[in-house]
Amino acid sequence: MIADESTMAHLMALSQKGDKNAYTVLLSEASSWLQRYFRRKVPDAQLDDLVQEVLLAIHKKRASYDAARPFLPWMAAIARYRWIDHLRKVYRSQEDTLEDNDAFEDSDEEAVLARISLDRLFVHLSDKQAEVIELVKIEGHSIRDAARACGQTESSVKVNIHRGLKKLSALIEKAE
Amino acid sequence: MNRINQDLIEQMASELQPVRPLKMRDGLLLVALAALASVLLVDVFVGLWAGVLQGQASAFFMITNGLLLVLGIASATSVVTMASPRVGNRHDVPKWTMAMAGVLPVAALITLAAQQSEAELLRDPYGLYCTGAALVASTLTASALLVWLRRGAPVSLNTAGLHLGVAAGALGSAAYGLACPIDGIVHLGVFHIAPVVIAGLVGRFAVPRLLRW
Repeated sequence: MIADESTMAHLMALSQKGDKNAYTVLLSEASSWLQRYFRRKVPDAQLDDLVQEVLLAIHKKRASYDAARPFLPWMAAIARYRWIDHLRKVYRSQEDTLEDNDAFEDSDEEAVLARISLDRLFVHLSDKQAEVIELVKIEGHSIRDAARACGQTESSVKVNIHRGLKKLSALIEKAE
Repeated sequence: MNRINQDLIEQMASELQPVRPLKMRDGLLLVALAALASVLLVDVFVGLWAGVLQGQASAFFMITNGLLLVLGIASATSVVTMASPRVGNRHDVPKWTMAMAGVLPVAALITLAAQQSEAELLRDPYGLYCTGAALVASTLTASALLVWLRRGAPVSLNTAGLHLGVAAGALGSAAYGLACPIDGIVHLGVFHIAPVVIAGLVGRFAVPRLLRW
């Protein structure tokens, strides 16, 4: 069970004041939350690296959290930013498949989580862009394999990835 | 949680120092001080136009500088907000204020075309000077906004760069505009809006690389 929004917001406010115990609990909860958030959006082998990158970003940029505002949308914006950065860096992975069993559990915060989820970003991409980003950047297929699988030329795959990632980076704070 | 994450968390917790959270109020105050300092510097180096207080300024003067001020405030507020990211933030207001200020150059060009006096633009001896001076006047505000963004965690880098440039250009042009006694629509609509366009383009293409984190 991961801590709820108000608990995490309270822990972050204490952390900004230098409370190390609150910070340890917060980062542990954030780590679990991020593991779920990114699952199915990066290959399993890269999941820990990405979670660590986000934890470091949270640590470095903790002053940018305003305690008067919700915590999870702040953390989700940082997570999306790091995720897109991560997708840009990743060209090929040995991981081929991702399991389809990791949606967030139902809870009172389901609506909030739905608004800040990574899936929300993909609806703004064209089908071709979303398909090739999934295949190449998330599932780790080569450009050639992706081109064959989705019936696009290799150049089109590259262009669609480039344009899709550019579009995603402009949508990081978008909720709908 | 795996061992590596646990070690990382323990290390970060042991290094934890108190931080002063970024408050929107502080950011807006910083920008306001930078804009005010710009006006003072314009007064020191160029001298503000006394005709404004003596009722000599045309309506175009008031409208142009008023729109530049509104555009600058809207864009600067957007930039200050971007330092504290959040899924659900919207940064639409500057778009509408940009469209609003865009009416001025359109009006200037229509006026020129209607009077068939396009060459008037080339004959304006102060036009480029005004544009250059306004860009110089925008540097303080641009620096303040850049410092604020670099303290924060902007995630929409291209938009942040564009809005930073537009805010600095608009506030700089409004500050210098208080010293310019040429108050015709053609001069104001072209040479006092040009700094906003130039600063916006510089912000959009040069600033994101300074913000990446």
